[in-house]
Amino acid sequence: MFKAVVLRELTSILRRRRMLVMQTGLVIVFALLVALRWPTDSRVALTGTRSLQVFQLFSYGLLATMLFLLPVFPSTSIVKEKKQGTLALLLNTRLGPFRIFFGKLASVLVLAGFILVLSLPAASACYAMGGLSLYGDLFRMYLLLFMVALEYSVLALLISSFSNSIDGAVRITYGTVLLLSILTLGPHYFFQGTEGLMSEAGELLRCLSPFSALMSLTGSGDAANQGLVTKVDLMGRFLVSSLGIAVVGSVWTITRLNHTIFDRDRSAGTISDDQTGSIRAFRRIFFLVDPQRRSSGISSLVNPMMVKEFRCRRFGRFSWLLRLVSICAMLSLGLTYAATAGTLDWGVETIGGIMVVMQVALLILITPSLSAGLISSERESRGWQLLRTTPLSVGTIVWGKLLSVILPLMLILCATLPGYIVMVYIEPGMALQVQRVVICLVATAVFAMLLSAAVGSLFVRTAAATAAAYGGLLTICALPLLIWMGRDAPFGHSTVEAFLKINPIAAALSVIRMPGFQNYTLIPANWWFMGIFSVLSLIVLVGQTYRISRPQ
Amino acid sequence: MVSKKSPTGGADGPVLVIKNLTKQYGSFTALNDLTLSLNAGQILGLIGPNGAGKTTTIKILVGLSRPTSGTATIAGVDCVKESQKIKSLVGYMPDTFGSYDNMRVHEYLDFFGAAFGIAPRVRAKRIAEVMDITGTAYMKDRFVESLSHGMQQRIGLARTLIHDPKVLILDEPVNGLDPQARIEMRDLLIQLSQRGKTLLVTSHILPELARICTRVAIMTNGTLRAFGTVEEIGRQVSQKRTIESHLVLAEQVAPAAAIIRKAIESDGEVFEVAAEATVRFRTSRPEAELGTILDRLIQGGIKVTQFREVQTDLEDAFMSFAKPQATASAKPAIARGASHV
Repeated sequence: MFKAVVLRELTSILRRRRMLVMQTGLVIVFALLVALRWPTDSRVALTGTRSLQVFQLFSYGLLATMLFLLPVFPSTSIVKEKKQGTLALLLNTRLGPFRIFFGKLASVLVLAGFILVLSLPAASACYAMGGLSLYGDLFRMYLLLFMVALEYSVLALLISSFSNSIDGAVRITYGTVLLLSILTLGPHYFFQGTEGLMSEAGELLRCLSPFSALMSLTGSGDAANQGLVTKVDLMGRFLVSSLGIAVVGSVWTITRLNHTIFDRDRSAGTISDDQTGSIRAFRRIFFLVDPQRRSSGISSLVNPMMVKEFRCRRFGRFSWLLRLVSICAMLSLGLTYAATAGTLDWGVETIGGIMVVMQVALLILITPSLSAGLISSERESRGWQLLRTTPLSVGTIVWGKLLSVILPLMLILCATLPGYIVMVYIEPGMALQVQRVVICLVATAVFAMLLSAAVGSLFVRTAAATAAAYGGLLTICALPLLIWMGRDAPFGHSTVEAFLKINPIAAALSVIRMPGFQNYTLIPANWWFMGIFSVLSLIVLVGQTYRISRPQ
Repeated sequence: MVSKKSPTGGADGPVLVIKNLTKQYGSFTALNDLTLSLNAGQILGLIGPNGAGKTTTIKILVGLSRPTSGTATIAGVDCVKESQKIKSLVGYMPDTFGSYDNMRVHEYLDFFGAAFGIAPRVRAKRIAEVMDITGTAYMKDRFVESLSHGMQQRIGLARTLIHDPKVLILDEPVNGLDPQARIEMRDLLIQLSQRGKTLLVTSHILPELARICTRVAIMTNGTLRAFGTVEEIGRQVSQKRTIESHLVLAEQVAPAAAIIRKAIESDGEVFEVAAEATVRFRTSRPEAELGTILDRLIQGGIKVTQFREVQTDLEDAFMSFAKPQATASAKPAIARGASHV
């Protein structure tokens, strides 16, 4: 019976054409990596430097694949069954929650196994080049990747069991992946070498990230070490933490797989306007803009599509936007204040670098979740059919939908401006850099929004649109950084620079003169790239929207 | 405002006119030479098995699809050439609700009102009015995704009415509703018809359609098989009438059947139901000759309590057209059905 669940899950994943394309693509990339660095002269370096260079790139590529591709499948697995009503059927069989869960988990792990098997020829080639240990390097890398697959698949299944929408599950899963793999490195970066609780917490938190474990394994240095070396067994700690998370997540998900998963009380639609004056006053003070107040009608002066988009989003209500902007403003001012008051000896450039990284990360995390489903969510909910029967033109629809993304992004960008203003006030020489950084950020926001919206418009399912938008954006952001990690060897300065020119994060970091990026001249080439691709994305978005709104 | 018109309706000439409408997808003909018309205030029930061409017809009427040939007009406006104008004339309720998450009912209606360009003040009044008509005012603060199916259908109807269209096109409005909600929806549709709205309704629940529709169109394989009132269609299905004669005494069933056999044509059918003291027969004899048959029964000493025609119901008609073998025999009815009503 267990086998039946695995087979059903696996065939539904593997029979998609996209999976075939993805697997073929992976094989080609791995083959190219090895072919590029395969020794062609009669002398071979016995130190295995070339092999290690390829191994580093290869392992980071595999880790990125595991992190960004694999979680999509388990994240939609349970919630999709719940929406389609097949989960109730499954729970009514003799399978039981244990078998259902492990069937789903096993199918994802088999898929992860396929990806790892596809990489074996390239790994063998690396081993054949010399300099790599079978157990110390290759086996441990594959063990690490397997544990990444296990941990993130379990987490994605847990998120899926809690979600009520497929695209929501994808978004939260990607947020969790970014949180656990990248943001956990932040505290260690800032507080290492200091005494106290924060330093210890940072030390423990970074062990959750597979990147720190992989960096220690491949000898790339200590993640976020700033020149300091620690003798912590990062690999061991990661394996323990990932196993712990997987066990807890599995037990939690299994306990969720019963009739209570369908229990969802219908909202009574409480409205503050109907409540007592004191409650209304309290809510006004607490929320500033009460989310439960009865909203007024849409003004004739605003685009109804924009208002509808805001109202449809869980976090689109004004109260949530205010909270988001307040957090951004407080963080930005707090960082600047810390630098000004001298409590942290980071310097204005470092603070600027941190702000840039945080802003770009926030933009890349938030933008696809806002804009990828603009068109596909309408098509999926069958609302598109209704919209086509209204007099709203394609231009009004697209512009209204884009406005609903532009405004929150503008608020986020504006929220950090006070920090930059203080920075320029402290260091007037940075005015030009700050101006360029702001341009980079605006360009990144526009590019991310249009690319996500264009990619998303090609799909009917919101979950697929969201995953494709994240995939596209992360490829543009992560792939050049992988090349950058191989700077000087195996890739030369010009190659790295050429790749970094398409990366909005690298462009902003080079402008702010972040260490590691200061030697690359990325603007205005990056602005041209983003400008041209933004225009192309807009053309695709409008063209696709026009195509699907025409009478058939 | 929802305009009030003559309760009887149907006196203002055709509102919906479809002429030789054909839609082809490659070599597949989804709709074949459809011709029909509908007057103001009438309710047309469009029935047919899956793939009959109902949804294709609806999509052309609301401007979501283009016909390969033929024309369709609503209140004189061409559905294809003037699709923007059509949007204000037609209210379309698809078979799926088209829900938006995190939106309250009044926000949902407000959005569609704004999309139809209704000014805010007028819109507020209109929302209150359509909620009143559809009996949904009490749920205005509820979230649309949390509503039951029956409630969603009502909200869907309110949304369809928001811009006060002349013609309402409702795809499966009673589908999935419980009996009470179905009765309420039925009453609501009749009420809308009495307010002068012209309705085109599709449904698989044929008794519901039979109760509310002033006209019925039966389609199979993209072709209109019959069109008219339920009674007219019943006659189109069967050229022979079914007459039922209830007797006082069960033992008189056989002699009564003998008298009837002599009176009707040779290929007529006579059924004896002794348990019910009833004789049922099918004949193509005209109305006047039926009276003669009754006279002969009385003269023959048969004690008759009832002598009546049994109406062919919509389900019988539908099944006779839906059955592939019935297709050829039903063809003559098309020409009659396709005439103006």
